[in-house]
Amino acid sequence: MAIEIDEAYFDALAETVIDGEDEECVKLVNDGLAAGVDPLEAVEKGLAKGINQVGVDFGAGVIFLPELAMAADTMKTGAAILDEKIRESGSRRMSHGTIVIGTIKGDIHDIGKSVVAAVLQANGYNVVDIGIDVDIDTFIQALKDNEADVLGMSTLLTLPLMTMGEVIDKLKEVGMRDKIKVIVGGCPVTQEFADEIGADAVGFDAQDAVVKLDGLMGVNRVHATAG
Amino acid sequence: MEGFSGKLVGSALPITPDECKIVHDAAIRVLQEGGVRCDDDRAAMMFEAVGCTLENGRQLVKIPEKVVMQALKTCPGSFALHGRNDPTKDCSIGTGEVHFCTVTGRYIDDIRTGERRKVTRQDAIDGTLMADALENVHGLYKPVMWLFDEEMICNSQILTTEWMKHTNKPGTWVYNTGAEHEVSDLIRMWQIAAGGEDEMRARPHMLGHVVVNPPRVIDVHYTDWLIGFCDSGTPLSIESALMGGATGPATRAGMLVQCMVEIYALVVQAQSYKPGHPLAFCSFNPAMDMRTGLWACGTPEYGINGGGIAAMAKHHGIPVVGFGMSDSCEFDQQTAYEKALKNYNYALAGLSWIIDLGGTAGFNLVSWPEMVLENEMAAYIGEYLKGIEIDEERMAVDTILKVGPLPGSYMKEKHTRNWFRKEFYMPTLSNKEFFESWERGHVELQEKAKTKALDILDNHTSPVAPEIQQELDEYLAHCLKRDLG
Repeated sequence: MAIEIDEAYFDALAETVIDGEDEECVKLVNDGLAAGVDPLEAVEKGLAKGINQVGVDFGAGVIFLPELAMAADTMKTGAAILDEKIRESGSRRMSHGTIVIGTIKGDIHDIGKSVVAAVLQANGYNVVDIGIDVDIDTFIQALKDNEADVLGMSTLLTLPLMTMGEVIDKLKEVGMRDKIKVIVGGCPVTQEFADEIGADAVGFDAQDAVVKLDGLMGVNRVHATAG
Repeated sequence: MEGFSGKLVGSALPITPDECKIVHDAAIRVLQEGGVRCDDDRAAMMFEAVGCTLENGRQLVKIPEKVVMQALKTCPGSFALHGRNDPTKDCSIGTGEVHFCTVTGRYIDDIRTGERRKVTRQDAIDGTLMADALENVHGLYKPVMWLFDEEMICNSQILTTEWMKHTNKPGTWVYNTGAEHEVSDLIRMWQIAAGGEDEMRARPHMLGHVVVNPPRVIDVHYTDWLIGFCDSGTPLSIESALMGGATGPATRAGMLVQCMVEIYALVVQAQSYKPGHPLAFCSFNPAMDMRTGLWACGTPEYGINGGGIAAMAKHHGIPVVGFGMSDSCEFDQQTAYEKALKNYNYALAGLSWIIDLGGTAGFNLVSWPEMVLENEMAAYIGEYLKGIEIDEERMAVDTILKVGPLPGSYMKEKHTRNWFRKEFYMPTLSNKEFFESWERGHVELQEKAKTKALDILDNHTSPVAPEIQQELDEYLAHCLKRDLG
């Protein structure tokens, strides 16, 4: 029996994101598509509503990182199905921007970068996390493939810092620097270093990354303070 | 240096011997069924040589229990970290002594200006001299994390030169930058500081950390270090470094099981490469802070897991060491209670080498007055460890019968004079004043610590022989020329 596409449907979809229930989300998305839901509406009224709530709850200290990360994954899973339908229809879903994010070559630390990815996603960015130990060419290719607006690079170690500068040099070399904002972060990254390599901003923690990125992308909102 | 000892060392463990066996069996099941990943054929060969099975293109190592038990059997039950050219600085590991060691940081509260700033080469010198001067600091970790005023490429070499030039106390090393020549350069510098290659092999003075990338990956860089440490005769400290809820389970028991999986894997790797090489289990197992994603080192679960690893070490007769630390971003009451409780817990659990003094905020912040205060905290803990010694002389029955009932006082008794210095702790900085006197005028504890730290910085000089200092400088010059031209 086809489901009703009404407010209750969109609320249920949002709940799957809030609860981080991937399978339930996929089922509801597919049921909705079968019942003729507008995929753009399903994202905006369902998935995005859920992830926005998660962002608010995380900022308020009501939920914690595992719940945030699981919600971000559920959002991504559901959005992947809906995005395909949106593209087929010739439209595009709104986000504050697409960021390609990864840990730089020579470093396999994953957690800090993943936390930033989850928090950015919960704050309305389309995040493409390309993992750890990422080399220069892979960053460039991912930026092209995803028509990204922002490059995010992270490291916990000192030597890979130098490679961050080389990625920015490569962006200039291939004529992409003017189109891509660059934000860097990680334990040894300082403002002086970011200035030196020509990055646009440093995210000193996940919430700071949101604030800095909002500044770069012209997003106006009231930012919660940490804790 | 003689550490703190007493009847309470090793007396408080969070799991029973029967539970140690249960944890052991669970860890073995993971090693046998799931194994560890190993992306480096040098490490794969070490595992293969002692009977482990290699699968998935030699990248997945399955380790049978008999291999683990054989490896554990070849580990010495104790070893020493020696003073460089100074036997009075020797620290015994695994024999019931508790030693305290400094921790490191990226920032410092400048003692002279009050400014919080990034650490420099001069701070590395100052931190080393501070640690050298303080009587309850038995060893050092890196005096500072990096030198922000020096080139990145030879940063570890410059840091190590200053460290080795300004103290003979033993130390701890954890891989720093991954620079090309880091392993061979640092080992050469340690050998120079010890008086030569053979001298260091005979009297190793560094504890070399080897860490698994959790969950369950044998790291290529740490295999470089493992080989370097073993070849140079440097004892190992092996740890999992998992973070509960992120790179390890979100239960204390689950964290302990995974820790043991990863520690056992490293024991097998090390003992395969060099049977009989001394090593200690190491505790550095924070839970992830569920708001920030940062490691949380000041928490009860961090300290109690250190006790769990100590229980497993005792179960197998292996020495145990660990990192302490507080999460507070300030030297405040939180730093004080997190450190005091954790370090007392560690000492009761029998950790031989506790890396914690002088810093906070998880390897981010150091302060020399704080090192002075924590030098005193270490002495407090040392006093607790003594417990109550029961013997005829100490029970003082004859003196009790002689003095009482009132009127009478013990103050002028020979028994009192003979014993109070041994049985009562006499702090040097802590406030013991009359309340009214203190109200009329006093010096704050932090100010006393600052005065003492400044006195050390102004007056304490390096005990390292000038010819060793010169040889270290020459080797550093060679490194700089090679890497920077």
